[in-house]
Amino acid sequence: MQKQIFKMIEKIFHTAALILLFESGSLYSNAQEVTKQNAAIQDSLYTNGIGMKFILIKPGSMIVGKFQPTVFKTSQTPDSVYKVALEMAKHDAMPGFTVTIKDAYYIGQFEVTQEQWEKIMGTNPSYFKGGKVKDDPVQHPVENVSWYDAQQFIKKLNESEKGKAVYRLPSEFEWEYAARAGATDDITWNEIRKTAVIATNTTSTVGKKQPNAWGLYDMLGNVWEWVEDFYNEKIFADPIPPKNGKEHVLKGAPFYGDVKNATYMTHAAGPGSKYDVGFRIVMEIK
Amino acid sequence: MKIVVLSLIVIIGIQVQAQTGKIPKGFISIFNGKNLKGWHISRSTHQGTTPNFYVENGVLLAKENPYGQGGLLMTDKQYKNFELYMEVKIDSFANGGIFLRSNEGGAAYQVEMVLPGSTGELLGERIQVSKGAKATDREKVWKANDWNSFKIRMVGDTPHITLWINDVQMWDVTEPKNDMIAEATEGMIALQCHWTALYSPAAGNGMPLIMWQPGATHRYRNIAIRKLN
Repeated sequence: MQKQIFKMIEKIFHTAALILLFESGSLYSNAQEVTKQNAAIQDSLYTNGIGMKFILIKPGSMIVGKFQPTVFKTSQTPDSVYKVALEMAKHDAMPGFTVTIKDAYYIGQFEVTQEQWEKIMGTNPSYFKGGKVKDDPVQHPVENVSWYDAQQFIKKLNESEKGKAVYRLPSEFEWEYAARAGATDDITWNEIRKTAVIATNTTSTVGKKQPNAWGLYDMLGNVWEWVEDFYNEKIFADPIPPKNGKEHVLKGAPFYGDVKNATYMTHAAGPGSKYDVGFRIVMEIK
Repeated sequence: MKIVVLSLIVIIGIQVQAQTGKIPKGFISIFNGKNLKGWHISRSTHQGTTPNFYVENGVLLAKENPYGQGGLLMTDKQYKNFELYMEVKIDSFANGGIFLRSNEGGAAYQVEMVLPGSTGELLGERIQVSKGAKATDREKVWKANDWNSFKIRMVGDTPHITLWINDVQMWDVTEPKNDMIAEATEGMIALQCHWTALYSPAAGNGMPLIMWQPGATHRYRNIAIRKLN
């Protein structure tokens, strides 16, 4: 009986292999594309003194804050209500605005890990350390850090790497441009589930999910990420961020986040829940 | 003179509205009936970060803003062991809830508020609740299109939660374990206005309109708490 099953499986594999052979033309070009992409990523990779990896982000532009709210009618909703919803959605829609990234920059390929934080700061403020997670917690993102704590880390990192590089938090637009990785519209739920650590109850080792199109990991999910900008208390950013404010902007969504907010469009803000906030950094190109 | 009379009428009107219903003895009000002092909007929940929570005639109202974006109004203070009381009047086809021991991002135990539907059900929001509960007797005590009172007691490191609607006990649940993220044993009280729309059709369909129909409102008044040891 077992032998028969094995034979059947063998047959299925043979058939699959034949199909693949016929399709080899397209397979070959796909492989070429992947190799090309990897080469581009390798060319633009930089690793600093404490092993932080950065990816080069080239100038370009994007539209930020384009709001085209969905209206999902089901059989339970009468046409009259649907019509009102459509009108309200149209009324509140916003065209967004173009943001041009003029200068290239390097951005962290991963969120700053607990290990990297400890190397620079000598402490580990994270909640999800020790026995709180099943795998090695030091490769999880550092969390339980305020915006000011993140600035302290950057200050010390700049001192330790003096002369080699200049680090800082990304601006919201630098962050979003890198997270979009060329995408002009919002991200699908399918894609979010492939790339983002969400709907779980602890942080995850960085880089466990698929990277985005530019090779960046965990831009969405795992921990919220601080950016440089003050929060404007609006649904989306303004073309020019406010000069001051009560809180700073958070991007990216946490490990318990939802497909609703794990999108690069989400414009959230502190304080967050402490254990759900970390960051990644930018390395300037002089 | 006319202005004085008018003002008096308005003031009396407001007081009549605000004084309707009653905070139980031993409870302390956490909503002043005038503004949102002691409360804040969550800026990190997936429900939405710009909901329209506002006060009118002593009543706290919750609406989506902008279209399809909900949100959470949270107490500034955190509570561990407590009894919470409030009176609620909810429109049909609008999904809200009372969040218990919530974190800033809205992960919490939740008492659901939705009509038609499972008002009074114990659920988790962004957490897996080990043991849920249904308010199967709710309709026996429910006053349609009117104010209804909710009293919730929550105590213990491993949560023990009890719900009364209009002074009648609906359920009493002791969870087998603490389901909160980071094993939190305290958190905020939050009021939910559910989201319906995504930012773009490219992301997907979003939520069916019945989750929060256009212009729907939830209303709250006489929100009060009694801390327990």
